[in-house]
Amino acid sequence: MSVERNRTLKKTLIYALLSGGLYYLMYHFEDSILELSRQGRWNFILPLTIAFVFSIVHGNFTGQFWELFGIRAKTTKK
Amino acid sequence: MEISFIDLSLGNVVLLFVIGFVGGLVSGFIGSGGAFVLTPAMMNLGVTAIMAVASNMAHKFPKAFVGAMKRHKFGQVDIKLGIVLGISAEAGVLYGAGLQETIREVFGKAGSNLYVSTVFIVVLAIVGGYVLRDAYKMFHSQNPDEEKTTQLAKWVQSVNIPGTMMYFKAIDARISVLFTIPIGFATGMLAATIAVGGFIGVPAMMYILGVPGLIASATELVIAFVMGMGGTIKFAWAGYVDIRLAMIILAGSLFGVQLGAIGTTYVKPYTVKIVMGVIMMLALLSRGIVVPVYLSELGQIQPLAAETASLLGDLSFAVLLFALAAGATIVFRALIKGMSEHRAKLAAENAEPGTFSTAAEPRQLSPVGRMERIMLVSDGSEYAESAVTEAIRLAKRCQANLYAFSVLATPDFESPLGQNLHELDKKAMVDNLLKVRAQAEAEGVSCEILLGHGSDPFDEIVDQAEVSAMDMIVMGRRDKSDLLRSMMGGTTAKVIGHTHSDVLVVPRQGKMEGKGIVLPVDGSRNSEAAAATVVSMVSKCPVAVTLVSVAIDPRLREDAQGHADQLARLMANAGIQVQVETRIGSPDAEILACAQERGADLIVMGSHGRTGLDRLLVGSVSERVIGQTQCPVLIVKL
Repeated sequence: MSVERNRTLKKTLIYALLSGGLYYLMYHFEDSILELSRQGRWNFILPLTIAFVFSIVHGNFTGQFWELFGIRAKTTKK
Repeated sequence: MEISFIDLSLGNVVLLFVIGFVGGLVSGFIGSGGAFVLTPAMMNLGVTAIMAVASNMAHKFPKAFVGAMKRHKFGQVDIKLGIVLGISAEAGVLYGAGLQETIREVFGKAGSNLYVSTVFIVVLAIVGGYVLRDAYKMFHSQNPDEEKTTQLAKWVQSVNIPGTMMYFKAIDARISVLFTIPIGFATGMLAATIAVGGFIGVPAMMYILGVPGLIASATELVIAFVMGMGGTIKFAWAGYVDIRLAMIILAGSLFGVQLGAIGTTYVKPYTVKIVMGVIMMLALLSRGIVVPVYLSELGQIQPLAAETASLLGDLSFAVLLFALAAGATIVFRALIKGMSEHRAKLAAENAEPGTFSTAAEPRQLSPVGRMERIMLVSDGSEYAESAVTEAIRLAKRCQANLYAFSVLATPDFESPLGQNLHELDKKAMVDNLLKVRAQAEAEGVSCEILLGHGSDPFDEIVDQAEVSAMDMIVMGRRDKSDLLRSMMGGTTAKVIGHTHSDVLVVPRQGKMEGKGIVLPVDGSRNSEAAAATVVSMVSKCPVAVTLVSVAIDPRLREDAQGHADQLARLMANAGIQVQVETRIGSPDAEILACAQERGADLIVMGSHGRTGLDRLLVGSVSERVIGQTQCPVLIVKL
């Protein structure tokens, strides 16, 4: 079990760092992002890319986060 | 048109995060996108309706993508149907978004808000009413609805309009695209308005096209992705997407979605429906309260006093917060109560939460292929049939205990019908496990069954094998197209990469009848472990063994011969005589050729257990062999 827990802890930390980094970058460049978004047209690629990247990285982090605290789906035994 | 982004003060950020979390929690629990809560919540913060919808879409479509990928692993997605519906939904989104822009230009902000609020009220009244009625019926019947093809769907499937017919795997029939186009279009229009197209898409697929509920909800994710991305592009093209809002909501909602989905596995299905119905009705009430304000702004009724308008706005927001808080409280209570009850029950049974019964005494995995505890992984599909048969035969021959395990996808549906479908899926899985147990017991093999829940099946399988100290995992292999055949991919490869137990992969129609074993060796410790396992197996059940060593270059032939001879001597010392073959060429191709020429019906290989980047760069011989062979392959882990 400890091997599994270590694996989960490692993954959680990696994704937490990546996720935190992404949010930091977004706020650091907030004005530029908003300005580009407001212009629309081909700049649509910017919000689209941000949405994809955040979803995957942050989604992995949140999944690992609950796993780390042992909050898992119920397993049904018959 | 002026595009104004709201100021993101710390208070707003915290509020959006919390709303995202609670919205996600509720949506993970009741199976819908949560947009019917999130969109009004953003509007109450001062975001214009069109930007609230646009930002909501921008946080939803990548989630749909991740969800669709997960469900695809479980074989639940009809990609073709999803794309066909998705394209017409895209048209619906474009039309719907255009309609919104027109409304906004003609009637202004209040008109746009009134339009979105009205659609919300009508849709939530219909869907919320249906859900509450369903919950009432379930509470009294205690039985999940049986899935039957409706008369309408039977008629749709019987109509033949030349030039428009298309075959869909999900219904195993050809239907006219003239039926799919309006369904997709309506789904898209609703999605562009309130960001939850699934309210129309899933029931329409089920009741009009006759798609099984489980596949309908999974396919809806493909539609959601296609139209969500299209809609986001459309809104972003016009500059309406506030990606900061979307990402803050996403930050909270992804925590909530995971927790809510876990919560569903601990409660009775009608609880989920009640929560869903109540929240929908409260969200409806919240929108309804502000309708007079919009009507007043549009001059349709007597102008309201500024204080009254402000009071109604505050009241609307308070009702929404109450709806969220009520939903969150029920989910938390259900989760805490359910988890503690489950743990107490398992403690009484002397078992770890969610595991098979443990061995009589502490044990470690044996390096010589002990086979006392065999875990069969079955998803109930045709690909698992041979694995079931072979696992039972193996358990019988080795007098082992059999443990049948299935993994049910944690619901991440985009439809309010999702939870009901999840229950149907659960029932099908449990029925399949009961069938497997009956099949095993008919052969005199004792069989314990267990249903796991998770978003990624491989994780559940690996963890279950670990905590239950399984000697071997037996699983099937999905047939791949020619392009993918050489790269097995998917769950099986991941299980092999991460587990410490041996893995027997049985392809469709794969049978072990004792015709012969091929043992590929390469001089590594992994080959030695495989050889030890073969010795153990052959000592119990004599069968011809061919030891094959492949050199990728003629100059390495001597080394290859040396590896083979060394192991052959070791095996001879253990009393097993083997035939030795040295071949030149690509290892996987030569191993497969050798197995075919020798008429072997089992390949036993040691695994290097490469994962991640390492596997991507180096590749895996065992993976390619498993992907292409027609006979079972036993992967021995160190």
